[in-house]
Amino acid sequence: MHVIVATDGSRASLVAARQFKWIADSREITDVTVVAVVSPFAAVPFANELGSQRPTELTELSFAREAQVAVDLVAAEFDGWGPTVHQQIRSGSPAQEIIRAAEDVEADLISLAAGSRGLTQTILLGSTASRVQHSAPCPVLVCRPTRNSERVTS
Amino acid sequence: MAIPATADLSRHSELKRSITARQLYFYVVGDVLGSGIYVLVGLVAAAVGGAFWMAFLAGVAIAAVTGLAYAELVTKYPRAAGASLYVNKAFRNPLLTFFITICMLSANMAAVGSLASGFVRYFSGLVGLSEESIWRGTIVAVVFVALITVINLIGITESVVVNVVMTFIELSGLVVVVVIGVIALVTGVNDPGVLLQFSAEGSPVLAVLAGVSLAFFAMTGFENAANVAEETIDPSHAFPRALLGGMLTAGVVYVLVSVSAALAVPIGTLAGETLLEVIRADLFFIPATVMLVVFGLVAMVAISNTALVTVVAQSRILYGMAREDVVPGVFARIHPTRRSPYVALLFGAAVVVSLLVIGAAIRTTQADLPVDDQLDVVDRLATITVVFLLFIYALVIVACLKLRGSDETADTYRANTPLLLLGIVGNLAVLVYTLIDDPAALFWVGGLLAVGLVLYLLEKFFGHKQPGAPGEHPAPATAVEAPAADKEL
Repeated sequence: MHVIVATDGSRASLVAARQFKWIADSREITDVTVVAVVSPFAAVPFANELGSQRPTELTELSFAREAQVAVDLVAAEFDGWGPTVHQQIRSGSPAQEIIRAAEDVEADLISLAAGSRGLTQTILLGSTASRVQHSAPCPVLVCRPTRNSERVTS
Repeated sequence: MAIPATADLSRHSELKRSITARQLYFYVVGDVLGSGIYVLVGLVAAAVGGAFWMAFLAGVAIAAVTGLAYAELVTKYPRAAGASLYVNKAFRNPLLTFFITICMLSANMAAVGSLASGFVRYFSGLVGLSEESIWRGTIVAVVFVALITVINLIGITESVVVNVVMTFIELSGLVVVVVIGVIALVTGVNDPGVLLQFSAEGSPVLAVLAGVSLAFFAMTGFENAANVAEETIDPSHAFPRALLGGMLTAGVVYVLVSVSAALAVPIGTLAGETLLEVIRADLFFIPATVMLVVFGLVAMVAISNTALVTVVAQSRILYGMAREDVVPGVFARIHPTRRSPYVALLFGAAVVVSLLVIGAAIRTTQADLPVDDQLDVVDRLATITVVFLLFIYALVIVACLKLRGSDETADTYRANTPLLLLGIVGNLAVLVYTLIDDPAALFWVGGLLAVGLVLYLLEKFFGHKQPGAPGEHPAPATAVEAPAADKEL
């Protein structure tokens, strides 16, 4: 089974990846593809909040590189877990590109966070998560931290 | 069975870029078109006279050459930072880089301010608001800035489709003006000889130069395209074509529109007014009363589109500065669900709004002065920042020539060198003329540069002690010190 794990560079997406790992059975999973989406027309195409926040040279700020750092960090979570880990950085609208990534690799599951912060993390459903659910070609796991999962993942 | 993620990298880590050459072309056209012609046509006409289309032609030519330099640099270094990056690469002078960044930021803010007052002029024309009521106009401008900010907070501008639709709306308005121009030519409203008349005394060359700096303002916005360079498919081929194609399209439209306006309306009527005067001439087969409403709406859409993109660019500059710790880290805050840099957006809006309010306050105190002596801070800042932009553009071309031979790959786009040299001369000629024509601008430029210098010194002495935004990431405080060492580039 091939699983897409999406990250938007937020802490919530990293916690969601850990929760997925906690829920899933690694023997059933052959491949994990970690996907990040850069939105070029947005004011901030990709905001990475993971890892050590080394201030970049003003002029060298590269959103593609930010996305790469986020994907590397989330992919590192699956090191030694079993499945082959792939990475993909796509550009465009987040929900659309996550769905396209799932179609491209014929994924059997998409795993993402309910939202990145605030209310979407606890009660509401983020727009990306709800759009992906709406038109995904496969089952979607919307991760939301629970007390039990917090104990394992944090 | 454990396979580390990195072992698989070469095969599967791929960047799926999303912007095609055609989308980039529309992005450039949309960016460049809205800003200038709708707002500035009257001012340029007043400065030059009937031959003001020549000012647009010259402005377009200089801007297009600058675009060549941008295209070459973008294909070498596809990053979001644009001019600041190129100047940094070429001159390795942190102070200069900082100034360029500050100049781009203030140019963006002044542009939003003047777009807002342009919007008010069309809005007043539409609802019949008197030009005299300064405060009512200011309220409309402030609401406009607030709306643009809210739209950016929500993140609507991200849609490629919206971009293309807006561009078509902008174009359709200008096509109407051109059609009216053709009608005017056929029915012989104005003598075509008006196209060669100069209102200013003395040399026609100087008259055109006077208009060029204004017309040049109409071509700004193309540098926003550098922001999306990172995500363009096959940038070394797509970028130069889309950028130049977009700028030339806008340029042709500008020249046609200004020729049409000169043919359809007496220059005295057009001077200082908007393109609505062309519609008011009632030469079109649809009655002017209807067309005034339609065209007013189209113009407002066009101005809004440009303002939206300018605000995005502005918040991105602030975000980058916050990431580098030049401004407090709080500017790098991203809205949790919308992922927009809300602090940067709100700060930019606050600056523009206070500009508008201060401008209005100054104007109310000057009500009894003759019109020529009145100070319109917003328009003033817009012309000042053109001075900065001309300087930056000349510097970008120099950077382009200086960086020849480094970081080149087989498919780096290479701009024509004589044209680039001509571009430097052109930019500097307009710059020098603007300063001679308006020496008071030097004080403003000096003042703004002094503010920049103070900011730079503050950053140098206190900047590195700044911890990250409270409660955000306590870690960076230590990490900041590391890159500081190799900062004396």
